[in-house]
Amino acid sequence: MIALGKRRCPGIGGLLMSENLDLTPEAAVRAVMQDILGLDAEQVAAFTPDTELFGALPELDSMAVAGLLTELEDRLDIMIEDDEVDGELFETFGNLVAFAEMKAVE
Amino acid sequence: MTATLEYSRYEFQGNDELCLRVGGHHAKSILLIPPLFDEMNRMRRMLVDVMRLLDTNGIGSALPDLPGTNESLFRQEHASLAVWRQALTECSHILPECKHIASFRGGCLIDDFADDLPKWRLSPAKGNALLRTMMRTRMASDKEAGLSTNMVQLTDEAQQGAVNLAGNRISASMFSELQDAVPALSDDVRTAQLETSAHKGDIKLPGSALWLRAEPDEDLLLSGAIATDLASWILS
Repeated sequence: MIALGKRRCPGIGGLLMSENLDLTPEAAVRAVMQDILGLDAEQVAAFTPDTELFGALPELDSMAVAGLLTELEDRLDIMIEDDEVDGELFETFGNLVAFAEMKAVE
Repeated sequence: MTATLEYSRYEFQGNDELCLRVGGHHAKSILLIPPLFDEMNRMRRMLVDVMRLLDTNGIGSALPDLPGTNESLFRQEHASLAVWRQALTECSHILPECKHIASFRGGCLIDDFADDLPKWRLSPAKGNALLRTMMRTRMASDKEAGLSTNMVQLTDEAQQGAVNLAGNRISASMFSELQDAVPALSDDVRTAQLETSAHKGDIKLPGSALWLRAEPDEDLLLSGAIATDLASWILS
C-alpha cells in the first residue's frame, strides 16, 4: 500500500513536514480511523465499504470528525472545503474512501 | 512509578505560572513543552507518565503551564505564540539544569524560544492544521445549534479582535500566527513519529495518537517508548 521514496527532501535541520511517504487514499483513511478510534490494524482492516461510521461508532463524534478531516488533508496533501463536507460523507467507510480518492486526483 | 510530583513557579507579566516538576534533584533534566489547545488536555496524563518514567531513568523533567492554560490567570485572548515563547524563556531561567527540550505536537511551534538547546519532537503539528480542526469543531457546534458558519466568516471574525474556537478565545494575532506557523528548522532536532504515521521521522514509536481521540486517555506503550528514547537521547 505504501509507495516508498517519493517526495524525499534534503534533510536540512531535521525533517520537513512535507516529507511524508505517499499513501493510497484508502490506506490513509484506514490509518486515520485507526488513530481516531483507538483500534488496532486488524480491526480497521476489517472495515468494508458498507461499514457504518457516524452514528454507529460512538467515538466518532463531531469533534473527532473535525480532526479526521484535518488529518486526511495532512496525509493526502489535499484541502477539503467547507461545502464539500456533508452528513452523507460519514455514513459509510466506502463513502469516505470514495471522497478521499476523488480529492487525491484533483 | 512512585515519583513525587511538585510544582515550581515562574513569573510572567506579573502572574505566577505553575510548572510541574518530577525528579528535580537529578543532575540531568529536560523541559517538556506540551501540545496546544485541546490536544494538551488529551495528552497530559501521558506526559506525566513520561515524567515519572524519566525519573526512574535518573532524569528530571519540568512541564510548564503556558499562560492562559490550566491554572493560569493570564487572559487567554492575550495569549499568542510569541507570548508563549516569552513565557518559556522566563520559565527556562528558573530551570538552568534543563539542557534539553522535548516538544509535543503544537508545542513544536514554540520550542524555538531557545536556539541553542537540542530538541526532541513528537509528531510536530502545523499551526494551520490546529486552526482548521478548531474551526471545524466550532462549525460543527454551530450546526447543532442551527447556525451556519464557514471558515471565511470565522477568519473575518478573528480579524475583528478575537474568535471563540472550540472553547478557546483566539486573538487576531494568535489566529494570524497559527495560519503560517511551522516548526522551526534547527541543526539539532530528533523527530519521533508514530508507527501509524505517514511522516518520516528519526524514530517510529509504537502507541496511539491520543491527540486525535474523543476523550483523554493514557497509553503506557507510547509513554514508555517516549521515555526510553528520550533517556537514550539525553544520556548519549
